[in-house]
Amino acid sequence: MKARIVANRRSRSYPQNGSDNAPDMPDDANVEALRAILLDGYRERVADLERELEDVEHRITDEEALLAAVTPVLGDAIRRRIRDARQEMIEALYPIIGQLVVRAVSEAIRDLARKIDAQVRTSFTPQVLWWRLRARIGGASSGELALRQALPFQVAQVFLIHRRTGLLLRHVCAEAEPAEDSDLIGSMLNAIRDFAEDAFGRGEQADLDVIEYGDRRIVIEAGEHAYLAVVVDGVEPPGFRAEMRERIIEIGNKHAATLRDYDGDPTLLSSTEASLRSLMELLSPAGLSAGQKGFLAGALGLLFVCVILSCFASRWAWRTLVHRATPVPIVAGATASATLTQVPTPTYTMTPLPTHTATPTRSPTSTPLVGMMTGHVWMRSQPSSDAPLLGAIVERGESVTIRALYGEWCQIEWVPEAGSKVVGWVPLKWVGTVGLISNEITTPTVSP
Amino acid sequence: MLRKIHKKVCLLGDFAVGKTSLVRRYVYNRFNDKYISTIGVKVNRKSLVVPCGSEVVELTMILWDLAGSEEFDRMRSSYLRGAAGAVWVCDLTRPETLDSLKVYSDILSDVAPSAQLVAAGNKRDLVEELRIMPSRIEAAVGSRGLPYYLTSAKTGDDVEGLFHHLGCLLVSSLGGGE
Repeated sequence: MKARIVANRRSRSYPQNGSDNAPDMPDDANVEALRAILLDGYRERVADLERELEDVEHRITDEEALLAAVTPVLGDAIRRRIRDARQEMIEALYPIIGQLVVRAVSEAIRDLARKIDAQVRTSFTPQVLWWRLRARIGGASSGELALRQALPFQVAQVFLIHRRTGLLLRHVCAEAEPAEDSDLIGSMLNAIRDFAEDAFGRGEQADLDVIEYGDRRIVIEAGEHAYLAVVVDGVEPPGFRAEMRERIIEIGNKHAATLRDYDGDPTLLSSTEASLRSLMELLSPAGLSAGQKGFLAGALGLLFVCVILSCFASRWAWRTLVHRATPVPIVAGATASATLTQVPTPTYTMTPLPTHTATPTRSPTSTPLVGMMTGHVWMRSQPSSDAPLLGAIVERGESVTIRALYGEWCQIEWVPEAGSKVVGWVPLKWVGTVGLISNEITTPTVSP
Repeated sequence: MLRKIHKKVCLLGDFAVGKTSLVRRYVYNRFNDKYISTIGVKVNRKSLVVPCGSEVVELTMILWDLAGSEEFDRMRSSYLRGAAGAVWVCDLTRPETLDSLKVYSDILSDVAPSAQLVAAGNKRDLVEELRIMPSRIEAAVGSRGLPYYLTSAKTGDDVEGLFHHLGCLLVSSLGGGE
């Protein structure tokens, strides 16, 4: 192009001054004057044209200059094209823009899900804990389950309908036996869409999106040649429309030729059933699968066994502790020894007692229970380490009479070798007994 | 295995020529007739087995029973989109119903150019009241090259023949919905 223009320009170029053709021209001032009169206008015109041509060349070859020249009119050209061939432009742009929009919406929904996840993670209500357990079992995020819980929702039927003819291309439903009149429902839906478009469209490019009847909704998502009509119970959760749009775009791209010239044979689109069914199962109520139910049952069984074992372990531990806290009774004999686990005095030796009552009587005063001190202990006025001291230390090996028990404390009566009888409280762990301590003397109240 | 084909078929014709009656006894009805007066259409289904070359196919005609009116307005013309065939019906006792053929035929050609059209002169059982002679209807549809049947929704005369003929035309043009 450039070469041709240059060549043309050369072929059209005129001499710029008289000296170029000097040998061929008569050297005559009159002729020169005449030439100037005749040709000066043309010369100026040629010079202007050459400048314009160079400018055009520059605009064509220089990318920046070309953009600067075309950009102002490009917008008007596109607007005019869209105005004149709106449907054609939509069909051309739909696969690209549709995907972009789907991606943007998906990202927004993911952001929302992340926010909800974060909120759910920082919450510890029983319901949220239950959602988390279900989410772990079901493989979904707890945020998604929270959404699902908030919006009861079930997909009842999915219709794939040919847009131009209204013929039913595919139908899947939750029930095992599909309705006999699904093809008629599909066509009536198409009629209703046409009716809505004609009655309320007012020439605008719009589609009927939803038909509501009580809790049941028909959610419609249209593609280029076909549309999906999904009958749902309740409110569809966020993201459901995006899923529908993805499905219809996917089907439209995969079966573009079949849908464009659809001849009425629905078997050509039988492969779409899996896609439609996945839409139905994707966000259906979260029923647990057999495997998940088995896992849950196993976990509950294990939990039950753990609880039972814990009970037995607790019982055993309690018994052990009780036996250790109470000094082991030593049966009267020639020599008896008892081992106390409570240090600091691990062992002691008792002398045989002259009288011993194996079975405690109901009255603590009827037959006094005799014990022996296993350490030097201060006697106190009350069964508490904070209680005032009585000023007497009952020494290890002293024989005392046990009068009452209160918790870990024991009320004893001690008669020192030199002095009068003293009654006070000492810790039970320092008192060894040779018989069982009767429940009768155990008292919840403090008796001085 | 029998090949199954679905086609959209529209019933056209003036008010009270018997379109609804014509198909009522022979089709699967799901919706009440009141839909015709509310949204202007009611959908029915008619299934039949028709020959297609060397084989037979099970053809399901989705019949769009459109409300008739003096002028076929834009709203109803949109219902013709994607139609593979149509049955135009006139009332043999009312000569003026014959005039609608041109209107419906032209709109059908415009909205669904490849649709097969079959004509039906209905109410042939009302022998005493017949006002359109067979020669006249033949002249009207003949110029357009349309097959025609004289039918009676009341007795069922030639109704099956009408739909069977249309069915054969539909499967013969398989692959061209519009």
